[in-house]
Amino acid sequence: MSINERKWPLGLDKDDLRLAVTCFFGGLLLAVMTGPEGNLSSPGFAFQHSIFSSHVYGFVIFGLLLGALSVTRRKSKMGVWELPVSLRLVTVKEKIRTLTNTYPAIIFGVVAFIALIAALLVADFTGPLVPNKLSFGQLLHQFVNSRTYGYISIAEAPLVIRLVRTRLKKSTPAQGSIFSSNVATVIYGLVGGFLFALFADPWLPPRFRWSYFTFGGPSNNAFFHHWTTYLWIVMGGLLAGRYIFVKTSDIRRAKTQRFRRPRAEVSASTRFVMYAGCLFVAVEAPKYLNAFWQSTIYQQIGIFVLLAIGLNVVIGFAGLLDLGYVAFYALGAYTNAYFTGALPIHPPFILNTFFVVPIAVIVAMLAGVLLGLPTLRLRGDYLAIVTLGFGEIVYVLISNLTSVTDGAGGTGPAGGFSINLPGIHYAWSAALTGDLSYYYLLLGFMVPILFLFTSLNNSRVGRSWAAIREDEVAATSLGINPLKYKVMAFAIGASTSGVAGVLSSAKLGALFPSDFALQLSIFVVILVIFGGMGSIVGVLVGAAFLNWVTQYLIFHSFIDYQDADKFMYFGALLILAMIFRPQGLVPSKRRVREFEDEEAGLGSADALGTAVEGPLS
Amino acid sequence: MASFFVLGIFTGLIYSMVALGYTLVYGVLRLINFAHSEVLMTGAFAGYFFLHYSMTGTSFSTPFRFLLLIGAIAVSGIVGAVLAVVIERFAYRPLRRRNAPKLTYLISAIGASYFILNFVGKEFGRDPTATPQPITQNFNVTIFGGQISAFDISVLVVTLILFFITNTLVSHSKIGRSIRAVAQDSETASLMGVDVNTTIASTFAIGGFMGGVAGLFIGMSAQVSYNMGFTPALLAFTAAVLGGIGNIKGALIGGVVLGILMYVPIYWIHQPFYEPVIGFGVLVLVLLFRPTGLLGEALGRSA
Repeated sequence: MSINERKWPLGLDKDDLRLAVTCFFGGLLLAVMTGPEGNLSSPGFAFQHSIFSSHVYGFVIFGLLLGALSVTRRKSKMGVWELPVSLRLVTVKEKIRTLTNTYPAIIFGVVAFIALIAALLVADFTGPLVPNKLSFGQLLHQFVNSRTYGYISIAEAPLVIRLVRTRLKKSTPAQGSIFSSNVATVIYGLVGGFLFALFADPWLPPRFRWSYFTFGGPSNNAFFHHWTTYLWIVMGGLLAGRYIFVKTSDIRRAKTQRFRRPRAEVSASTRFVMYAGCLFVAVEAPKYLNAFWQSTIYQQIGIFVLLAIGLNVVIGFAGLLDLGYVAFYALGAYTNAYFTGALPIHPPFILNTFFVVPIAVIVAMLAGVLLGLPTLRLRGDYLAIVTLGFGEIVYVLISNLTSVTDGAGGTGPAGGFSINLPGIHYAWSAALTGDLSYYYLLLGFMVPILFLFTSLNNSRVGRSWAAIREDEVAATSLGINPLKYKVMAFAIGASTSGVAGVLSSAKLGALFPSDFALQLSIFVVILVIFGGMGSIVGVLVGAAFLNWVTQYLIFHSFIDYQDADKFMYFGALLILAMIFRPQGLVPSKRRVREFEDEEAGLGSADALGTAVEGPLS
Repeated sequence: MASFFVLGIFTGLIYSMVALGYTLVYGVLRLINFAHSEVLMTGAFAGYFFLHYSMTGTSFSTPFRFLLLIGAIAVSGIVGAVLAVVIERFAYRPLRRRNAPKLTYLISAIGASYFILNFVGKEFGRDPTATPQPITQNFNVTIFGGQISAFDISVLVVTLILFFITNTLVSHSKIGRSIRAVAQDSETASLMGVDVNTTIASTFAIGGFMGGVAGLFIGMSAQVSYNMGFTPALLAFTAAVLGGIGNIKGALIGGVVLGILMYVPIYWIHQPFYEPVIGFGVLVLVLLFRPTGLLGEALGRSA
């Protein structure tokens, strides 16, 4: 009797067993991954201390639960297991809908809960950074301390207003009427926040007061700093409320009309408010972070967000894969070092760093074209390995060409940004802490780049990229030259990386080859993939979030985590993302459709092309 | 000059073993297996552990050294093959099952590579170590001014034997016939009763075995560390493209030619770090002027 014919209990089969075993071993693997560091002299140490210790229980239980859950899901999908009515997913959804229609307050409760979690995170994010690792219990304790209450109440206030208003009316606000639409809500929120700041704050006991929990910000009795803070919190809350609102109404409409309609077009005024709000948050929020995050937000988060925006053009828009992206970053940085006289070889003239930016753009773009032209002529997947090689070669060269780059010892101080006009002298400060001037400069570069890329993607060029991604042959027959557009995307990505290199080197000063190691390119790829390739919002969110997590875990982790381990988790994340959610966290709608189409055998979702077809005799 | 020539040939032979893994997978799946560098690294670690725990004494007889070498090759190769199959199972097969775009395969392979790399780094530490040498260091032959050591001879013998076995396997055995069938047209092959999944797994296993053995030799000639696989794998891919990707004999010839092209110029420029730079230059030039490689692209009957 073979294994397939054997009668299994409960209608289980071999695949269920496989699923459960995979989940169990996944839990074990997670336990080993989060365990202590090992060394070669006692190779069993790390395994022994992660598997044969109490550390393992949580992960094994997690694995088993995950296994049970996936088996249950599979069986109920196949119709083998008749779940009790109350447990069936469809029924649960149905019930929730009935409940929320009857009691709108439930929706409010759920939203409030989400806002609460978000507020806790914000509170923890901006709080003092404890420079040693905390256990999970301590972490929880820190979450639930007094200073978080303020954040919770503020984050929830606008949501309350918005949700109560819409739910009471049980309809969308009338279109066109300016005071019943979003503008009105924004005004209510702003006035509410302002009044709250004006009246409530002095009445609160000291430990609940804003001044108690703003550490880095100028908080000593500074009235204006108070109310700007409330403004941005209120604005963020409003935007979140708006988003949630649009989504629920959209779902409701889809359910009643039984066919899928695109999400309601966001009106121009709303979009303007959203952009302005985001910009406002980006400008104001860092002032209230503590010194550690103020220094991190430039070098770690900001630069990488810029890099991810550039790589998104290559991966997301053009559908190519660039694994040597950091090489262009290095080119930009060393161009700055060269023209500001920090390298052993001297330039013909010393330039202000502002003038180095266009040169770096041209250098990186030229390198991109030179590398892209021979490679992209063939097939797209060769680009991945050629860029990988290029990244490694640039790293080898800057480490070893000591007479040109000073090698591993690091260059002299590269020039920072400064303005020297008659009457105006200003130099951006390279101070490590408590100085945001470089952050605002970066923002000044990033915002135009964002607008440029957005409009590029909506232009003829962007449409050509989409056409090449989806069907290269058809695109060619319509007169689009695939090589031209692929090289263009690759060069645009490269030049963005060059700009990031200049910005980074201006703040860093001395450059070391280790700052340009190849794994940084992989890191940027991860940022783009995690956020959602092709979606600018997704890439921004993903890049900021992952960078924050990596910094956060160094100090707050309740697992055995070191900075060098991050690529282990990222590698696993990449595999899981490709298997379960290739479109990323905040996907681009068009990309999702492309993935679905390619999986159904229609068109394609990347510009890697098909292999050379031919006789393989 | 002659010594650089010899160095190039024997390093190239090792690269050609790695290149075979790229070539087979590319021939069957039309994909660059980015995780192959980690197969090499893991093979080197397996060989290190085997030799470290079996060479506990101080002096060894020649037959025992021979047995040690055979054992190390077997262990490295099998660990490499198992890892390659595991990579195929977890990073490729879920995607293949749903007919995912090519981009996702590349990204998932990069993810697998970085996961394995840093997992090994975390579990066994990040410091490089030397592998104990089972091959005697006191034996050298001089031919035309180039010194050939016992290590070089064993590399030559092992590479030729493994290539002969692989070639025979692919061109004359049943599994080889199914590999070629899947390489030509996997849908038709599956209609003809070929188990595509098993065939692809066995392709990975063959390439992984060779990769693991190559890792052992690289570990013996240099050092074993968690990130040792990257540069050899990149150069091996160049060798595969140079010989004609998808072509088994091409991998062998491409490896040797690349080795010579890389090491002979070092004789004049005296800067060993130019080795990967030259290798990369060769890759770009081949892509520019002869993208099908020296022997052409085919996973064919005679190849």
